Formats: sequence, C-alpha cells, structure tokens
Amino acid sequence: MSEHHITPLRTYLIIASLLLFLSAVTVWVSYVDLGPLNIVVAMLVATVKASLVAFFFMHLLWDDKKNLTMFLMSLMFFGIFVTITLLDTEFRGDLGLNPEVKNPINNRASFYDTLPLTDTHGHPVDEHSDDHHEDKEHH
Amino acid sequence: MSDHNPNAPSHLKHYFHDVNQQYETSKFAMWAFILTEVLTFAGLFVAYIVYRSWYPDMFVDAHKLLDVNKGLTNTVVLITSSLTMALAIWAIQKNNKKLSVLMLVATFVFALAFLGIKYLEYSHKFEVGQLPGLYYSYMGPDAAHLNNPHIFFSIYFIMTGLHGLHVAIGMGLIAWLIYSTQKGNLTSEYYTPMEMIGIFWHLVDLIWIYLFPLFYLIG
Repeated sequence: MSEHHITPLRTYLIIASLLLFLSAVTVWVSYVDLGPLNIVVAMLVATVKASLVAFFFMHLLWDDKKNLTMFLMSLMFFGIFVTITLLDTEFRGDLGLNPEVKNPINNRASFYDTLPLTDTHGHPVDEHSDDHHEDKEHH
Repeated sequence: MSDHNPNAPSHLKHYFHDVNQQYETSKFAMWAFILTEVLTFAGLFVAYIVYRSWYPDMFVDAHKLLDVNKGLTNTVVLITSSLTMALAIWAIQKNNKKLSVLMLVATFVFALAFLGIKYLEYSHKFEVGQLPGLYYSYMGPDAAHLNNPHIFFSIYFIMTGLHGLHVAIGMGLIAWLIYSTQKGNLTSEYYTPMEMIGIFWHLVDLIWIYLFPLFYLIG
C-alpha cells in the first residue's frame, strides 16, 4: 500500500483554511443585498468549497478518474432530475385553461386560522392587552 | 491468490490479484455508494427548489427564524472535523498510530459537538412550535404574517434531520475506527476502512456545505 499518494500535510492545512475563509465570505455576502444574485453567489461559493472537499479531502485529484466519473454522474443525474421536475412545476397552468392550476397552493393553509397569536417564546398572547395574560397565569 | 502465496498479506482476499486491485475495487464501490447517497439527497434538494420557487418570499421570511450563528458554528465544526479525519488518514499512511487515533478522537468529538448544537437548535424549535406540517404552531410577531412557513420547516427538518442521521452513523463508524486503529488492525499497509469512512465523512461535510447557505443565508 506504500505506493499510494500521500497528500502533504501542508495541502490539508491550506485547504481547511480556504474552506473556513470561504465560509466567512459566504456569510458576509449574504448580508450584502445583491438581489437575485445573492443565491447565485452563495451557490458558487458552496460549489467551490464542495470541489475543494471532493478533490483534496476525498483524494479525487490523485485517484483513478473512474471515481471522479462516478461522482460527476451523480451530479448529472441530479441535473436531469431538477430540470425535468421544473419543466413541470414552473409551467403549470400556462395554457390558462384553469387559473387555479397556475398557483396551486398560494392560499394559506386553513389550520393557520385556528392558531392563537404567540410571543417569540411560542406562548399564546392575548390580542387586546397584556393585563389579561397575567390573570390567566394564576388560574 | 493467498492460497498459493504464503507471503500474501492476511487482509488480501483470495479473489483479488493483489492488494492494490483490492484497494481500488473497494474505493470504486465506495464511490458507487456515494452516488446513491447524492441521489438520496437529490430528491430533497429538488423538493427544496420546487417549493422555494413557489414560495420565494415565505422562504426568505421564514429563514430569519433560524440562528445564523449556530449554523456558522456548525459549519466551522464540521470543516474542522473533515480536516482531522483527513489528518487521521495522513497519520496512518505515515504509520503514526498514536497521532491517527488522536485525530479520530478529535473527529468524534467535533461530530458530537455538531449534534449538540443541532440539539439546541431543534429543542428551541420544538419549544416555540416552529415544526413541520400540522405540528406548526408558532404565530409570533415575526411570523404571524408568513404564508405557510410550515412548508419551510418540513423541508428544513427532513433535510437537516437526514443529514444529522448521517453524522450519527458516521460517529458510530469513527468509534469503530478508533477501536480498530488502537488495536493495531489498521496500519500503513492496510487502512482501507479508514479511507472509505473518510470519504463518507467528507460527503457529510459536503452536503452541509450546501445546506448551510440554503437554509441559513437566504438573500
């Protein structure tokens, strides 16, 4: 087994530092308003990080390329899965035959009407005043 | 070949030509398993994409109920655990058993820390009622206007829950690696299980790399 490639320690440390740095970058960028570009930048940074993990930590860079092929095939299947699903869900109701098909679930689920308003701890609050809330606690 | 060759190492199965062929075969099979793992999560990512495209505003509003600091801490913890896992393999390749065990223990501790932080997040959400589907009951001032946030939390709990399950399974595997390495079963001559579990562990890290921005850092 001694013929296996042994990645130098320095490489591992550099890659880990890069991953931590990119994590900080992606958090920082999320607070900058880029409009629809935010998600694009976030996914680009995530993909760079994922590539670093796959090529260096998972040793794909030095492996036989059949392993990389297997991995890329899983991503290709994922791409087909997303594309074909979105071809359905994104274009529902475009023929205009039934307007409700266009936005199938834009109505609020009915169980929300029965939920009481709560504070940030999830405890129900009285809608009118806080004084009654105190009374309730004593019952 | 071990039947015929008395010098063959004990870990070499007779149906392989040599140790390298055995190692490469194991690794290729591991990558086939990784493919099925990616496809398992792919279904959940597709659910995320479809529902986010149907409810773009709700996703943005509902994600503010998550704690970015805990998410970022978990990201750092998981990346560090990936590093220590890689270093455990590096150490065993150099036949440094002591360092390898130390790095495996560190990986285990980081995995435990990840699940601990996840537990804090989950228990808070259970307490306030930010739960999937019909169990959702949170109507706080920052959420009462949201349109169907229970869908966001369904996807959040299933994706992070399945990921957390992988972390827990990984911890079991790493615990077994610590035992085997300590016992001397794994050496620079034969460390295939550590390499394979390492690949699994890095996949867990890789999936979290996408989950973190998708749930905690939405525009």
